Amino acid sequence: MMKSYTQISGEIGELSKLPFWKKTDIVDLAYVGYGLFIVTLVVISYILGSFNLLPKDPQDINLDLMIAPPGTAGHLLGTDFMGRDILSRLIVGIQAYFLPGLLAVFIALFFGTVLGVLAGYRGGRFETAITYFTNLVDSFPRLVLILLVIAAFKPNIYYIMIVVGLTNVPVVSSHIKGKIQFLKQKNFVEAGVSLGLPTGTIILKHILWHNCRSLLIIQATIGMAEAILMETSLSYLGFGVQEPTPSWGNMVQAGANYFMQGKFWLSTAPALSILFTILGFHLLGDGLNNILEGKRGK
Amino acid sequence: MTTGPLLKIEDLRTYFYSRSKQAFIRSVDGVSLKIKRGETLGIVGESGSGKSITALSVMGLISAGPGVISGKIGFKSARMQKNLLQDLDEYVSLAIKDGKIMQLSKDFAGWEKNSERIMGRVRGKEIAMIFQNPKSSLNPFVPIGKQITEAIQLHTSIKNEQKAKERAIAWLDRVKIDSPRLRFENYPYGLSGGMCQRAMIAMALACEPSLLIADEPTTGLDATIQSKIVELLAELKSELGVTTMLISHDISIISRLSDSVAVMYGGTVVEYGPARAILAADFASKHPYTTALLASIPSERNIREKGYLQAIEGDVLDTINIPPGCRFYGRCNRVTAGIRENCAFKEPDLREIAPGHKVRCWLYFD
Amino acid sequence: MKLSAIRPIALMLSRELMITALLLLGVSFVVFIILYLSPGDPFSVLLEGQMSTTEARSGLREVLGVPKTWHAQYLSWLTGMLQGNFGTSIRTGLPVLKEVLRVGLNTLVLTIGSMLVTLALAVPIALYSAVRGTNSISWPLTMFSYVVSALPVFWLGYIVIYFFTHKLGLFPLVFGFSSSVQKFGWLYQLLPIFVLGIGNGTISEVIRYLRDEMGRVMAEDYIRTARAKGASVWKHAFKEGFLIPVTEIIASKIPFILGGAVIVEQVFNWPGMGRMAWQAAQDRDYPVIMGIAIISAVLVRLGSLFQSVVYVAVNPRASKE
Repeated sequence: MMKSYTQISGEIGELSKLPFWKKTDIVDLAYVGYGLFIVTLVVISYILGSFNLLPKDPQDINLDLMIAPPGTAGHLLGTDFMGRDILSRLIVGIQAYFLPGLLAVFIALFFGTVLGVLAGYRGGRFETAITYFTNLVDSFPRLVLILLVIAAFKPNIYYIMIVVGLTNVPVVSSHIKGKIQFLKQKNFVEAGVSLGLPTGTIILKHILWHNCRSLLIIQATIGMAEAILMETSLSYLGFGVQEPTPSWGNMVQAGANYFMQGKFWLSTAPALSILFTILGFHLLGDGLNNILEGKRGK
Repeated sequence: MTTGPLLKIEDLRTYFYSRSKQAFIRSVDGVSLKIKRGETLGIVGESGSGKSITALSVMGLISAGPGVISGKIGFKSARMQKNLLQDLDEYVSLAIKDGKIMQLSKDFAGWEKNSERIMGRVRGKEIAMIFQNPKSSLNPFVPIGKQITEAIQLHTSIKNEQKAKERAIAWLDRVKIDSPRLRFENYPYGLSGGMCQRAMIAMALACEPSLLIADEPTTGLDATIQSKIVELLAELKSELGVTTMLISHDISIISRLSDSVAVMYGGTVVEYGPARAILAADFASKHPYTTALLASIPSERNIREKGYLQAIEGDVLDTINIPPGCRFYGRCNRVTAGIRENCAFKEPDLREIAPGHKVRCWLYFD
Repeated sequence: MKLSAIRPIALMLSRELMITALLLLGVSFVVFIILYLSPGDPFSVLLEGQMSTTEARSGLREVLGVPKTWHAQYLSWLTGMLQGNFGTSIRTGLPVLKEVLRVGLNTLVLTIGSMLVTLALAVPIALYSAVRGTNSISWPLTMFSYVVSALPVFWLGYIVIYFFTHKLGLFPLVFGFSSSVQKFGWLYQLLPIFVLGIGNGTISEVIRYLRDEMGRVMAEDYIRTARAKGASVWKHAFKEGFLIPVTEIIASKIPFILGGAVIVEQVFNWPGMGRMAWQAAQDRDYPVIMGIAIISAVLVRLGSLFQSVVYVAVNPRASKE
């Protein structure tokens, strides 16, 4: 029997009962919501750690209660091989990447913006030079470059984060450049010039503030994820914060032997912290990108 | 030789679901057309009138997610006979409440598979299609000659590479491409738009299809090249007698090539009949929309009589919220007091007013 | 291919080669600057290490001296490198290039293997979601790829090692690169490849890029033409929708996988460049890590060159641009 769709009315509200993942706007909001939740958690934990407002003293060694499993009275996430409270150490571990990560983000955004504006606004030789610079930076595996810096200087987290920041410059600058070129295509810049606006006003106010703001926020979240990944990787490799000061990376490393004995929580608690935090920053970046920059726009 | 029309579209409806508006866009809303063997049917209308969607529905190229097609497209050539929309609606399930569709879901994969199964032996072999913007319609990574050879090897008995190449070169020559042997090796980017469209036409006709669908074949080309492509199509028509469905917003191209004409407005056919009757110079016994279209042709006569070119006032119909009456009512300048009520609240049907000449307008009904 | 078609391609490639050479020169300069700025006089030690024998080293330094100005130092070091002389390791006293190349092969196996694993996972998901859009299968897969991309690769390594040694009991619990003596030695060597392939943090990006490119190409006019003429859509979409994006992603992800190799080699005790770099950073053995930085940059640039070659060979327009 042939179906007839003629009675389909103009509006079919019922079709809005799509599975939720098809409602891209809701999915994006969920991404951003989760991301903001993680960011808030990280910031609060950082502040708590700075003022030493912790459930337990993270350095308090308790040899009677070593490797206590999660849920042990007084130790929500258990204790490590020296009987120290894992939850407290996780919270304090944020200190290891928080400020250095912000430094990396700042460097990437600042230099990325400057180069992006030069390449996008001036074009020509600047653009070529920046393309070469980008290719040059992209030639190094980031971790190898950092190890080189460690060997040449010292394993200082701020040196490391300068490298992380500088290696993120090309991504930021190419986004800014793309945006400016897009605005130029739309005669946005000419309009400003013909209105007699000074170049500084056009670039700072009309280009950067009005049009690149969201882009910079997105890049900041992605940059922070990179910084956390690098800090945890390096402290895992033993180049970052050293025992007894906790960092998520060295906690995973210290728990390795116990992991193999089936006492997973020592490594797993910091590893999952890394996972959920980086996931949060990634989803925040992508969600914001879809919402603010309208990549899905359909 | 089989009898009856080559293509018979009955009550074709193609609706797309708009996610943002949460409603169906009725791009094609009950179209019935016939194309006789050897005839050229011109379909004319503004953009958004549903003419291209009609063609794409015939080709089974409607792939947009939650869209539905209903009706019947009977195709009957010397080699096959089938309904091109066979069983498609089995992949759509409806929840009907109080005679209204409340929910609609579509098995996209099944629909697609079924459509591919039906259209597999039709596309290219039985029905070939040429598009607007020929430069982007040819594969930029493959020399044009290769693209024609591919079609020949797919759909004709010529499987031998060398023979297919000779045939392709003969076709390039036939569509009047200079030095076809040289052009055979060229990529689309090295050729002009007109040249690409000739290659497209050669590719479409090389498999000797029963039906050629030309969807806006001159759009996107320079004016002088447009007329050359039209000339080529006219020549090929008289030489080969290929049955054609010609779609254009340009009524002068339609009038040059068509035997019969369908005028489309808002997803429906508003006037349908022999080209002579519809495109005749006198404005009597025509749908007001056709009249307006004819008046907008930049011809000597139109300019001399009015001193200016008449544009059709108003906007193209919103095919989501279709008004209850005639779809052209809002833009019509020939509504009379006697029929106004009908025009506003009752949709006219497509009625025969002269042998073979149908119009959808209250003006001609008693 | 005709001779006339080869000429522009050859021109194009020689240009790419020149760019590669220029970038590698830049790479060497960046490495030089980092070391030059470091405290102490590491460069003299490095240049000394470049001299041929111990005798010559101790003798020549007194006679010739080490170049004093920065450009003389750079030139001297660069000339040495171009002759294949990367100096000697401070820790072992062995020539750097030979050592790096010795373990470099292991890293190459790990990198290429991981890349294949990443692609084997990402390509089907990307193609599926490009064709079908978001549905009940592709959405969970996309979500899963997000989670996998945030997974710390060292922890993934632990899980895999634990699972295979304890649960399956395939390997004795020895942290170390198992030799072929072991029964499942070959399997043990596959583990790091899979771990790095899954956990290199690029999977969701690779999926998104391939899906978007494929989706874009599928919506092109010429694909509609291919469907209208009854030809294979895949065949027509292959070059622009698959070959070009895949080579692009391979080239651009090599540095990420090489970086991930540093960690995975550490977790699995895989004797490769990454582990050597780690050791060198521990010992501040900068001649070694400089060699590794330069060799990995060469690998990255070669990947990029490979991508250009594919692009030029495939795209008829590329040689005209």
